[in-house]
Amino acid sequence: MVKYMIKRLLSAVVTLVVILTIVFVLVRQMPIEGYFDNFDKMDQDMIEARLTQMGLNDPMHVQLLRFFGQLLHGDLGASARYRIGADIGDIIAQKAPLSIEMGVMSMALAMLLGLPLGAAMARAKSRFWDKFGTAFIVFVNAVPAAVYYIYLQSYGSAALKISMLFSRDDWRTWILPVFSMSLGNIAYYAMWLRRYMVDEMNKDYVKLARAKGLSNTKITVGHVFRNAFVPMIQYIPTSLMFTVCGSIYIESLYSVPGMGGLLVDVINRQDNPMVQAIVMIYSCVGIIGLLLGDLLMALIDPRITFGAKEDAR
Amino acid sequence: MGMLRKAKMAPLEDRMQKELAARREAAERDPFGFADYDHAQAEIGGYANYSYWGSTFRAFLKNRAALTLLIVLALLVGFTLIQPALPNQYVAGQIINHPTTGVQLSNVSPSSTTVKAHAKAGTQLIVTSWQDDKWAAVSNVLQNLKARTAFTILEYGEAYCKVDLNGQIGYVKNDFSTKLKLPEDPSATPYESRSNFAIKLYSAPDDYTNNGDPLFVKKEYLDISGDHAVTKADCDLHILPSTAPFLFGTNNLGQDLWALVWRGTRTSLFIGFTVAVIEALVGIVIGVLWGYVRKLDRLLTAVYNVVDNIPTTIVLILIAYIMRPGIRTLIFAMCLTGWVGMARFIRNQIIIIRDRDYNLASRCLGTKTYRIVMRNLLPYLVSVITMRMALAIPGAIGSEVFITYIGLGLPVSIPSLGNLINAGRKLISTSQSYQLVFPTVVLSVITISFYMIGNAFADAADPKNHV
Repeated sequence: MVKYMIKRLLSAVVTLVVILTIVFVLVRQMPIEGYFDNFDKMDQDMIEARLTQMGLNDPMHVQLLRFFGQLLHGDLGASARYRIGADIGDIIAQKAPLSIEMGVMSMALAMLLGLPLGAAMARAKSRFWDKFGTAFIVFVNAVPAAVYYIYLQSYGSAALKISMLFSRDDWRTWILPVFSMSLGNIAYYAMWLRRYMVDEMNKDYVKLARAKGLSNTKITVGHVFRNAFVPMIQYIPTSLMFTVCGSIYIESLYSVPGMGGLLVDVINRQDNPMVQAIVMIYSCVGIIGLLLGDLLMALIDPRITFGAKEDAR
Repeated sequence: MGMLRKAKMAPLEDRMQKELAARREAAERDPFGFADYDHAQAEIGGYANYSYWGSTFRAFLKNRAALTLLIVLALLVGFTLIQPALPNQYVAGQIINHPTTGVQLSNVSPSSTTVKAHAKAGTQLIVTSWQDDKWAAVSNVLQNLKARTAFTILEYGEAYCKVDLNGQIGYVKNDFSTKLKLPEDPSATPYESRSNFAIKLYSAPDDYTNNGDPLFVKKEYLDISGDHAVTKADCDLHILPSTAPFLFGTNNLGQDLWALVWRGTRTSLFIGFTVAVIEALVGIVIGVLWGYVRKLDRLLTAVYNVVDNIPTTIVLILIAYIMRPGIRTLIFAMCLTGWVGMARFIRNQIIIIRDRDYNLASRCLGTKTYRIVMRNLLPYLVSVITMRMALAIPGAIGSEVFITYIGLGLPVSIPSLGNLINAGRKLISTSQSYQLVFPTVVLSVITISFYMIGNAFADAADPKNHV
């Protein structure tokens, strides 16, 4: 068990290093304008001088080693255009808490709504809740999120009689962004929980429980739901990624001063160091999510065997 | 197909019926006796009238919703492809100017016709200098009146008042925009009046202009003398010297939205199909290598672990940021991560079936690897590959919309559904919201259809459902 965890952790670290290297090398291929705030006014000598000063004229491996050295000290470099010269770590430290808060809220909301919906769908096979849930899942999965977010923002804020933009102090403006962000996850949880519960319901122990005379509710909640919930754990990383991607769009749509909106901002201003830093942070979130999912799964489900998987074939 | 099979099977079925009848007869004669030995009957075998694709097809046809959507989708895609060849179409992206004033026809609301107004026979019209051999530009503005010009109201009406201006009889609009000065009892005509604003004197109780620009009428309806004309019969006044309407209206640049939407649909579908095909090809090749060549397994698994760990959206954003915006960039960025899912799936399936006995036998008989893969392995996976491709298309179209929103999508010169939705987004709560509604409806129909059809096909292709 511990061996498996250490192995998994190491592989995550290796993956992280590879991804950071790829991102770093890719961003070096960008036009150099993204490193200067007033590129048009500078002459060739000044540009060269600044590039040398920033160390961008060094060979790639030197830059890379220096970058990892800085990273180990928690130094992400300085912003070039967004807030000139400001430390990227500081900017992100200001923005990240709000994004995290919102992401956690939306994931909690998704579980709160998605799991009951999935359970209701599994119980009401081909009656109202099943049909409603299926229609909802198809809609959310098929129609690009970008489209229904727009309508939700416009009509939702009109219906609730609130401003279309987010303001931190007014709790009512939290409703729509958090709800929009959770929509994808609600559909996802509902879809998989329904599938697992339907599978679980056809098993023999449910028949036994029914023969014993247990009530339907007791069977569903006490047996079927508990067993069907275990494999759901492995969807936490995916749903974390959903939330991350959703946050990019939603935060910029509602002008939430968080990380996702920041990414869109710095892309539009072509601030290379900031784009690099934020992309790296999001990649880390993805890796950590997958790692967490695997570890949780290993902790919770006793049926999982460790290692030796590859030899089975 | 069915006919042929029936013809082939009929003799066999006949023989089986005969045999059964004979057996029944024998059983009646002597229920517990031995049956006679008949060499011909001993040779008869049964047959399974089962074909995989036939059953898949039948199962799919049973799903009414998916079938309907398939037809809708086929019509939509077909229409998208032939739309530019249809008569009376504007070129996508062409800015349509008003022929007389040169102003862009921006934000014209959607309509199935260009007719703006109807004129009765005998209506007096003013002809402007623009004419071609068929059409003439006209308006019914007799005179532009300065603010506070005095005139006599002859007849009071709710919408238009008939007035006399120094002997010239005409009509003026009577609403909040003109603010006519009215006496206590407006019906006690005639009386002196004026407007506090600059207004127009019309020749008929209606406004025959397109927000002040001239309208167009066919010359055959007009009796032209100098710059005046009188209509010979009831006729239609058009906003353009053509009968091609703006079915979806125009955008703020004066481009026909109908043409733009279909052009955009073509772009989006092209991106979707290309991405699906490339993902499938790359995914199959890598998946087969991964599953079949044991030496590559370790390496490809390591590559997979890295690629699968990066959030797809982040790769999309990064590649689109680094490369020049364009269709190729988008397709490349989407394919860069898209093949992973397909490759892993194929690899898992191939590992499951590659060492089954028939493949082992095939290998022992010296069949080439290529042939084993093409003949023995891939046909098993066709249905699932098709399904994954059907689901990749809406995914790619959605990614395009997302990446355009971030500002890394296609340039405005290449219309796509993402571009149109992004442009319409700002107009959602205005009267021009149709500029968002039309692209989103088309987009939703396409993505939902592909999604539903893909899923229905996956269900139909599952042999468990072939009962």
